[in-house]
Amino acid sequence: MSAQPRPGRPADPVRGLLRAHRELCERAVHPLEIAAGLEAHGVTDRTAARFRHRDVFSLAEELYARAPHPGAAGTALTEAGRTENAGRAGRTGRTEHGGHAGHTGRTGPGRPGDAPHAVTEGGPGGPGAAAVLLLPLLPGALCAAVLAALSALAGRPPLVLGAVAAAGAVLVPAGAVRAVRAVLFTRPAGVVSAGAHTARVPASLAVWACWLIAYALFGDWLLRELLGGGPDIPGSVPPGVPAHTVLSLALAVAPAVWCAGGFARVARRRLVRSRSLAEFAAGVRPVLAVAVLVFAGCVPLLQRAAAWALDRAPLAHAVAGGQGEPGPVRLWATAALCLLFFAATLLTAHGRGAVVPAGLGAACAAEAVALLSVLAARLPGLSVVARPVEWTVTALGAGAVGLLACTGAALALLAYAAGALTGVWAHHRAAAPT
Amino acid sequence: MRVALLTEGGYPSARGASALWCDRLLRGLPGHEFEVYALSRSARQEDRARWQPLPPTVRRVRTAPLFGPPPAQTSARRTPGYGRRERARFREYFAALAEAVCAAGNGTGDGTSEGGERLTDRFAAGLYGLADLAAERGGLAPELRSETAVRLLESACRAPGALRAAHAAGALDLLAVTERLERALRPLSLDWYGTRGTDPGLAAADLCHAVGAGPAALPALVARRAFGVPLLITEYAEHGVRLREHYLRSAAGAGSTGDAAGPAGAAALAPGAVGAPVRALLASFQALLVRETYAQAQVVTPGTAHARRWQERCGARPAQLRTVHPGIDPAPFDAVGEQAGGRAVPRRAADAGPPTLVWVGRPAPGKDLTGLLQAFSLVREALPDAVLRLVELPPAPGAARCGTPDDAGEYGERCRALAARLFPGRAGRRSPVVFEEVRGPLPDARAHAYAAGDVVVLSSAAEGFPGCLVEAMLCARATVSTDVGAVCEVVGGTGLVVPPRNPRALADACAALLADPARAARLGAAARARALELFSVRQNTETFRGIYRELAAARPRRAPEPGSPLVRSAESRAPGRPGGGVRTAAPARASAGPPRRPGWARPDGPGPGSAGPRAGAGKEAKAG
Repeated sequence: MSAQPRPGRPADPVRGLLRAHRELCERAVHPLEIAAGLEAHGVTDRTAARFRHRDVFSLAEELYARAPHPGAAGTALTEAGRTENAGRAGRTGRTEHGGHAGHTGRTGPGRPGDAPHAVTEGGPGGPGAAAVLLLPLLPGALCAAVLAALSALAGRPPLVLGAVAAAGAVLVPAGAVRAVRAVLFTRPAGVVSAGAHTARVPASLAVWACWLIAYALFGDWLLRELLGGGPDIPGSVPPGVPAHTVLSLALAVAPAVWCAGGFARVARRRLVRSRSLAEFAAGVRPVLAVAVLVFAGCVPLLQRAAAWALDRAPLAHAVAGGQGEPGPVRLWATAALCLLFFAATLLTAHGRGAVVPAGLGAACAAEAVALLSVLAARLPGLSVVARPVEWTVTALGAGAVGLLACTGAALALLAYAAGALTGVWAHHRAAAPT
Repeated sequence: MRVALLTEGGYPSARGASALWCDRLLRGLPGHEFEVYALSRSARQEDRARWQPLPPTVRRVRTAPLFGPPPAQTSARRTPGYGRRERARFREYFAALAEAVCAAGNGTGDGTSEGGERLTDRFAAGLYGLADLAAERGGLAPELRSETAVRLLESACRAPGALRAAHAAGALDLLAVTERLERALRPLSLDWYGTRGTDPGLAAADLCHAVGAGPAALPALVARRAFGVPLLITEYAEHGVRLREHYLRSAAGAGSTGDAAGPAGAAALAPGAVGAPVRALLASFQALLVRETYAQAQVVTPGTAHARRWQERCGARPAQLRTVHPGIDPAPFDAVGEQAGGRAVPRRAADAGPPTLVWVGRPAPGKDLTGLLQAFSLVREALPDAVLRLVELPPAPGAARCGTPDDAGEYGERCRALAARLFPGRAGRRSPVVFEEVRGPLPDARAHAYAAGDVVVLSSAAEGFPGCLVEAMLCARATVSTDVGAVCEVVGGTGLVVPPRNPRALADACAALLADPARAARLGAAARARALELFSVRQNTETFRGIYRELAAARPRRAPEPGSPLVRSAESRAPGRPGGGVRTAAPARASAGPPRRPGWARPDGPGPGSAGPRAGAGKEAKAG
């Protein structure tokens, strides 16, 4: 225990200490961290004297200066370390290592291969693969089942048919909401504690969405009636639910959820890899574009599929009072509505849902204004206000109003998303609402 | 006096040494009124916050979470009132803060150099600017959680002169750091400062007593700057200084996911926040914050000389440091201690039991029980009938949630196995090493455990303030301990101290004391006298009472009011409640508002002798 270096001692006693506490010294971000770690391992000022230092602090400074710091300087090692950390982050929020703070728990070296995977799976609280694949199909399947039931029950009393249709009207949207929530809005178990304070999806959203769907189903009929001087109350009733539109909307839930989930996954992987914010934004922008384009490409295909399915079951057409496959403008309007919902889902899933009610509300307002302008034109001297609507309908058909409203809102939301979803906060793990 | 006690992840929700001390302090100072401002570090801590009966001196408790998404996010909207100008101000302040955080810690970390001073100035400018902004606009969270903040942090990281680790920070690291900064700065957005609503909060406090120099002191810093409230910092955490605790936890977080280590609070580092850049930046922020806290504090009271050295290292001035040892309640140990002290003849001669060594504590690798067992095998060579009793305490309530019991249990099992190997039980004879578990009320049971031994041994390789050692001293037991933590200053000359992790030295010391009961008894008596004088609860609370009085007296005086010949004196602030007076909730600011005056200082007030303190306090209430 003598403080004097004896002749027999090695010339560089610190080297042995450096080797003994190699990991501590390499990981340390400040000399004081090494000092704290050394003290936890029983190194005192008296021990430091053996290394020809006044106290633990100066010993730690020498160790800090002499130890290599791969985490701070190297590139390849930084990369490995980061993926390793991210992998840990993704794997679990709880930890198996508890214990005295002085004992630095060490796990093995990073396995970069599994790290991004772990991040994107979102930990044990995240949805499983089966849920990701199957849940989004639920609304489409439910809708098809209801339509099939309706066609099978053709000829039964209207009360029965109405009950089945009502059940479908409740179940299909519920299924859609469930799928979106389960796949996109879940967060890893590590951040459960945040649950009490998280943002909720505003209630106005449901109102706007219901209006938009209702308009897609009955808006064209109502507009035509209004333009034709109707509707005669109580004489005129809608001819029936357009089965094709309903089925397309329900089927579109699946690609929407998959595309949004895929986007989130790839973006998080990029987040782990990106070395700067600009690099991240540049990397995510094409991913977002691809996600939107893939979804936009899926919708016409789904519409073809819906038409094909309905052709196989002509009874469904009849029961639902369908008018066969709708015209091209109606098809485009439905596609635009799907795109609008997709944009809203994307933004909400990434915690940027504050603008979504505004976007959906704008589309609703446009549709409502179109309807009201036709009504207002009946007042003396105001016939001019209905001109644009009349012109649009004569040129493109009744579906054009919905098409324009939804396309405009969808493009606006997507333009906002192009800015908002390329920021890092949008891909923060706690960004999603409950 | 009205004292604001600020805690982080401790009293009153958590249990532990620090919380126990808080409770004793509040009960021990009935002359003052306390308001507890608690920041909780995890949901589990908050759930735990079923207040045990609070001391009567506590007027109220206010809590705020430092975890999860910010409360303001529920509105999911930008804080109203953040216009273009406020955003520009936010950018300016946050950039200053980020620049300081990214550049500090480059070099040895002492802020005495010119560059270091400039950085601390930048940090303070950013911090207080943000505090002002938060006070005016009612919250910073949406701005701190914006892309702007991340971008500012990134440009600060890439600036020349920034930390090497900061240069390597990627997008994920920047995000993690910004999130942590938002949480750490959350106290700035709280409504504790009397700027919103009618509640004066910290503005009306006569003194801020912060337990720990980190985030707990942040509200006190704001109050000090805005209202001139004096600041007293006490650091009694298990790991001593707050910054040291942060480093330890950060190092542990580098090895495992963050929220395990650190007995005081789980979830200190978010999962994913464990990369080197993140740890470097957060450590730098903590260091700057601690430095600023020490710079603003009037008095800093470390619990031990070891903590004091750390605080000096972290920027505290020697003049403001005053070591105040944590107190141990001597009452449960009085019976044992008096009995031993009054004994004329050493115990061994009286009942002739085998010479017994006692170790009391919670088994953990840091306690180096294996070393103790090896040392005991050496003791047995000298004294073949010696006995070692290892008394295990139940795991600390605070440690139960971070997985320590498993570790402790595993280590305990290893030690049992080692003991069985070293001292195989012979037929008809018990093993000389006895493992016991404490049952029943804790202090009494511990007192009995100490009483059962001739010499109490402490073999730790790392230790903070050794409470068990003080208890053994109170029981008038001679002690043999390793030279770690605060052991030397606790034991003084009343026990033997040997180097840590040196079984031979430990064995020699134990054997020497066991073989010489008279010497052991002498040392024990001296130990008890020393512990009673230096480490009693009363000594602790009295010291703080004195510091409170002194700080109140030293508070900068305001100019005497016109019409009154008297300036506010120390006594006018200090009494507060001795007679049971009640303070009003009027906001008192350094800059505005009428100063409070005692009744006797008012021209129309009762004379000093004509009314009791209650009447005076009543007048004061009216004046306020």
